[in-house]
Amino acid sequence: MRPKTPAPNRAQTPRPVPKTAASPPAPTAPRAGAVVAPGRPAAPALDLVSLEQRLRDTKAIGVFTKLSLKNQVDDLLGRFRDFYGKKSTATLAQLRQRYDLLLLKVLSVLQDGDPALAAAISASRETIWAILADPQKFATL
Amino acid sequence: MSRSLSVLLLSAAATLGSVSMAADDPGMGKDLSATIALQGLPCDKVVDAKRNGDSDYTATCKDGNRYHVFVNPQGRVVVQKL
Repeated sequence: MRPKTPAPNRAQTPRPVPKTAASPPAPTAPRAGAVVAPGRPAAPALDLVSLEQRLRDTKAIGVFTKLSLKNQVDDLLGRFRDFYGKKSTATLAQLRQRYDLLLLKVLSVLQDGDPALAAAISASRETIWAILADPQKFATL
Repeated sequence: MSRSLSVLLLSAAATLGSVSMAADDPGMGKDLSATIALQGLPCDKVVDAKRNGDSDYTATCKDGNRYHVFVNPQGRVVVQKL
């Protein structure tokens, strides 16, 4: 078996997060990992159902990759549950770093094969974070 | 909005119960490469993939690293360096 192109193996350095950052930055702030080309408007944030379906349908990543990412998403959600359940010493800023790193991973595996979906996820970054960072919204997940 | 956030980011669950792919699938190497990289392990390019069974592969990377990549009974992707 000879894959035509090597898989991305990019450095994944999360953006530094100030220790005092207990709330997400403004939604309009540009963030590391954004895949929207300069000079082009950001893709509109997707509704979650649509995003779910596009992720399910994309052929840009294989099932092992999808499952690996799902494992990591589940791990992150577990950390948030521990955080809100006061079973963890993690701070919200640390969770934000983990969230940003996971988003970077998602974007890195999608951006070549499905750049439109990568852009849509990037545009939804703050919407997703707003759910995670709000204990009441998170509880409804 | 009340859907699981894991579904929000990645919801491949419907197809994840049985990961079974042919080792000669040209996309398999890319899938394995990405999977290995997601675990933070080095692999510049998968040049060979031997299927050991359902959801179970041995991947050989161009740099000589070899990995056992499989899905454990808990549904987690495990990458073990050989």
